[in-house]
Amino acid sequence: MSKVANRPDWADDEDLDDSVDALPPQTTTTNKDGTKTIVLWSFNEDGKKVKTTRRIRFTTHKEVVNPRVAERKTWDKFGLSAKDGKGPAADTTTVGENIIFRPSTNWRKDAKEEKPEVGSIKDQLKNKTVKCRICSGEHFTSRCPFKDTMAPVGEEGAADVAGGAADGPEQPGGLGAGKSSYVPPHMRGAAAGAGDRMGGGKYERDDLATLRVTNVSEMAEEQELRDMFERFGRVTRVFLAKDRETGMAKGFAFISFAERTDAAKACEKMDGYGFKHLILRVEFAKKAA
Amino acid sequence: MRPVLLQGHERALTQIRYNRDGDIIFSTAKDQHICAWYAHNGERLGTYHGHQGALWTVDVDPTSTLLASGAADNTVRLWDIRTGKCLKVWDFNTAVKRVEFTEDGSQLLAVTEQRMGFLGTIVVFDINLDVDGPQSDERSMTITCEESKATVAGWSYLSKYIIAGHEDGSISQYDAKTGEQLDNVQVHEGLITDLQWAPDRTYFITASKDKTAKLVNARDLEVMKTYVTDTPLNSASITPKKDFVILGGGQAAMDVTTTSARQGKFEARFYHKIFEDEIGRVKGHFGPLNTVAVDPQGKGYASGSEDGYVRVHQFDKGYFDFTYEVERQAKAAAAAQQQQQ
Repeated sequence: MSKVANRPDWADDEDLDDSVDALPPQTTTTNKDGTKTIVLWSFNEDGKKVKTTRRIRFTTHKEVVNPRVAERKTWDKFGLSAKDGKGPAADTTTVGENIIFRPSTNWRKDAKEEKPEVGSIKDQLKNKTVKCRICSGEHFTSRCPFKDTMAPVGEEGAADVAGGAADGPEQPGGLGAGKSSYVPPHMRGAAAGAGDRMGGGKYERDDLATLRVTNVSEMAEEQELRDMFERFGRVTRVFLAKDRETGMAKGFAFISFAERTDAAKACEKMDGYGFKHLILRVEFAKKAA
Repeated sequence: MRPVLLQGHERALTQIRYNRDGDIIFSTAKDQHICAWYAHNGERLGTYHGHQGALWTVDVDPTSTLLASGAADNTVRLWDIRTGKCLKVWDFNTAVKRVEFTEDGSQLLAVTEQRMGFLGTIVVFDINLDVDGPQSDERSMTITCEESKATVAGWSYLSKYIIAGHEDGSISQYDAKTGEQLDNVQVHEGLITDLQWAPDRTYFITASKDKTAKLVNARDLEVMKTYVTDTPLNSASITPKKDFVILGGGQAAMDVTTTSARQGKFEARFYHKIFEDEIGRVKGHFGPLNTVAVDPQGKGYASGSEDGYVRVHQFDKGYFDFTYEVERQAKAAAAAQQQQQ
């Protein structure tokens, strides 16, 4: 019994310390693998005892410098640094984030990867010329000089102006086959159906290129997600569900891409990605029923 | 590589200099003191106080005993590096934009601004290398730039020429003994912002607001290489050991608030000195790079920015290993030839 009291084992450590006010001395033990374990005790602001265990590996880094340089290292500090101790002072010298710098002739390739996609959209738009709906001129409809005097092509007024030529069941675009002023959506012909599809298609496309990201950290920010996913292509929308009261993330987010291929790439690459201590799960968003 | 951030200035950096052994870095900024830092760990050795205006330039003599600085308070000051004591003050009519010691440290040149009716000049002083000895008040030579003011200047190999870069983008060659202008070549289209020497001072690199940097021969002012970028350049430096050049620049300081950090191009750009290709960039600053300096031993470089930080980088293995395919082939061919013999 007394033996145990004299040499407390590790399991009793904390219990024993609670009864003693004085802090145990700092202990340094040398481990088998050459590292040293330093155990420090201190009180925190709440008066609680804190045990700090540090494992340190010492490596001796020898550098041969010429004697002039070695001599200069012993110089006394002066000016604003006169009172600083040995070694770098924390207020003037900090260590930055690690930068990976690998010179390479094609370093720009990574940066370029995103650009062709932007270019492809541009290419798509390149051949599209602006066409006025009133006079078919190369300007926006709102800028048309005949805006006040003529109605858009294919609408009633235009049909009147064009005379009987456009009259008939195959009258293009517009609201319906007849001349009546209003046709309810379900009664509209094929042309109007296209409009319907367009509306529906918009959501469809959105959904097709939308990823659902789950297991997102509470600390996540929309901007962080955007930054992460923008690598794969143009992100049109980022939605991060947040708790209304606390403002913390709820743990899931939706990311919409402009292109489905980008979304697929992002889905493949980001699924299982470690972000803020959590492993992201990325999948295509299911269509709402 | 993990950069060390030095936070000794409250305002924009203007120049950084390594001493010849590459162990101490001197930095000046638009606040009124010079900082000296150990290059290996970023520890501040000390600060030099005395200037009453923004500091524009600093240079260290080859033995690392004397430090010269030029400032907007119209003075050049000479300092004892070890103690931080001011040894000598030379007064001018206008601000001093550049100082540089000769290779042996026996002379110092200073470039003065053109302002208030005074023409820009390049002034030369003889320096007494003894710290405790007296320094002469007399200027040993004065070159007056009548056409376009000089913005930067330096001593060529053997202190034979003084090379000056001008506001109009031209480069002049002066005889360092007589001050006579030997040559003037239009090299850039914009103001020349920096001029730094190759280790042997037979050629130098200039950086200009016209978005290019050029490698120029000191003897005949022939442009040997041109490095084209997409941003105005403030500084350029030649790396020893590896055939690279480092360019620093970015959006002009006054336009910075209107651009995002990504568009501002606040990166140090590495170009291959011979092939003129861009081979990489190092990010980190939040403002345009005002000055770039390379360790004369080739182990690292430091950049100073409008954001008030100096970032000291030590190159790692990837930097030293990088070679072009043709370089590797040439090396292999040389080795094979040696074996045959």
